[in-house]
Amino acid sequence: METAHIATVGASPVGRTDLPGRDLFSRALAEAFEGLPDPAAVVDAVYVGAQSERYENQIMQGTLLAEWAGLNNRPAERVEACAAAGALALKNAVRDVRAGVHDAVLACGVEKMTAGGTEGATNALAAAFERALEQRSGVTAPSQYALLARRYLHETEATETDLARIAVKNHRNATANPRAMFDHEVDVETVLGSDPVAPPLKLYDCAPVSDGAAAVLITTPAAVSDLGTESVEVAGVGTAANTLAVAERDLTSVEGADVAAGRAYEEAGVGPADVDVAEVHDAFTVCEALLAEAVGFAPEGAGVETVHEPAERSAGWTDVRVNTSGGLKARGHPIGATGLFQAVEGYEQLTGRAGDRQVPGADTALLVNEGGLADAHTAAHLLRRAR
Amino acid sequence: MRGEPEGPLAPEEITSDSAFTLPGFFDALAEGQLLAGRCTDCGTRLVPPRPACYDCGSRAVRLEEQPHTGTVASYTAVYQPPSPFADLAPMTVAVVELDSGARLTGRVTATLEDVEIGAGVQLRVRDPAEVGVDPEMHLSYEEEWPLHEFDLRG
Ligand SMILES: [Zn+2]
Repeated sequence: METAHIATVGASPVGRTDLPGRDLFSRALAEAFEGLPDPAAVVDAVYVGAQSERYENQIMQGTLLAEWAGLNNRPAERVEACAAAGALALKNAVRDVRAGVHDAVLACGVEKMTAGGTEGATNALAAAFERALEQRSGVTAPSQYALLARRYLHETEATETDLARIAVKNHRNATANPRAMFDHEVDVETVLGSDPVAPPLKLYDCAPVSDGAAAVLITTPAAVSDLGTESVEVAGVGTAANTLAVAERDLTSVEGADVAAGRAYEEAGVGPADVDVAEVHDAFTVCEALLAEAVGFAPEGAGVETVHEPAERSAGWTDVRVNTSGGLKARGHPIGATGLFQAVEGYEQLTGRAGDRQVPGADTALLVNEGGLADAHTAAHLLRRAR
Repeated sequence: MRGEPEGPLAPEEITSDSAFTLPGFFDALAEGQLLAGRCTDCGTRLVPPRPACYDCGSRAVRLEEQPHTGTVASYTAVYQPPSPFADLAPMTVAVVELDSGARLTGRVTATLEDVEIGAGVQLRVRDPAEVGVDPEMHLSYEEEWPLHEFDLRG
């Protein structure tokens, strides 16, 4: 089997922009291919992660973005699992390269969430939940996660203040990330005093509505040599789908993330304690805590300690740094692109390009991207510095 | 209701008359009957009923009528609901565990402050026209389906 490497990455600015989706993609691709041959001379196939056609009334995103990249008559398709779409594009690219089907595959993601305002985004995201009983009860993304948060606070010692500290930490991390949507710090009082969205979740517990695109080129080691770029190995991949309805799931155990990360660890021959940096899907503050526990970083009930320095954490915690990019909360959350923004952060950390947020000696990164409620879909990738 | 199924449904049994499909499930609900699929291999109850058990994979699932009473497993209030529910905001929503162990999500007809984990609730089945949601919400095949909600007990 071939090994799959990230050969180059690029991303658009994240936030509220005047660029439509295809132009955001053009920005991401231009950065990824700066100083490199034309994409047409390199790329064999394209996967596009995109959550919803409601934003721009456009499906056929595979065809469109391949066209915009000058990639004629190549396999190009959209993949979708709500916010896990980006990592699914990455997974497909890795699979094709490992299998020897293609030498170089472009995984990209794009979302123009601001096109329909807050109401448009609320309605588009609600489509990720079970229709017959849950959508028809008026649920939203924040309300579904609030049901997990309420139960987590009930079953553990964690408090709303602990959740607020996760938002504070991720805003602080984002100030060192030039790609981040937010460049300001917030304090615990601001988070706790922000408007209720779905109690116990408040505005500052929620990732923002964002526009953005990201592109990641997956290739063989030989193709990396031809390009002359610095690469990162995708050493492990795992995905799992697990129940659409919130009523059917365990409210405080994210089993699908445990399974997906477990598969990625196993492929790479590592365990949670080997991971130096992790980007985990903090669409809401409570997710960061739940995922830290599910993927084996934290003991049960201690997931909120992602905010502490490793030496200050409870026994049983690893030394991993979580969401150095600022996470979905502060880097921004353009749904279909988010999994690839996580890969961009992993690439930058493992190639020593993370600037003021660089984790010294970072060698191994875990990316955990989720779609729907919690682990309705999880895609996990284990990245390792190329040797 | 189906009698003694010990194996997979036959193709010809999967019609809109059967509560293993959504039209059949909502027809029964409109008559006041909440049905679950009960897995005869592992005992899991699934709402709405479907042909296979998610917990163990068995297709030996049979219909079982559910109690209308249960307790709140978790709850919240939706301050900014999807647009068809705008008139109901803020709207209390809960995951309810019925006395049988089956669970389903639904609106609660009480303010957030009056609800807590463990609170007793009672299912109520409503005509969608009475609830105050925008009728534009309904897909063509959903127009006659009832909406459910929970009242606090005691
Ligand atoms: Zn079963």
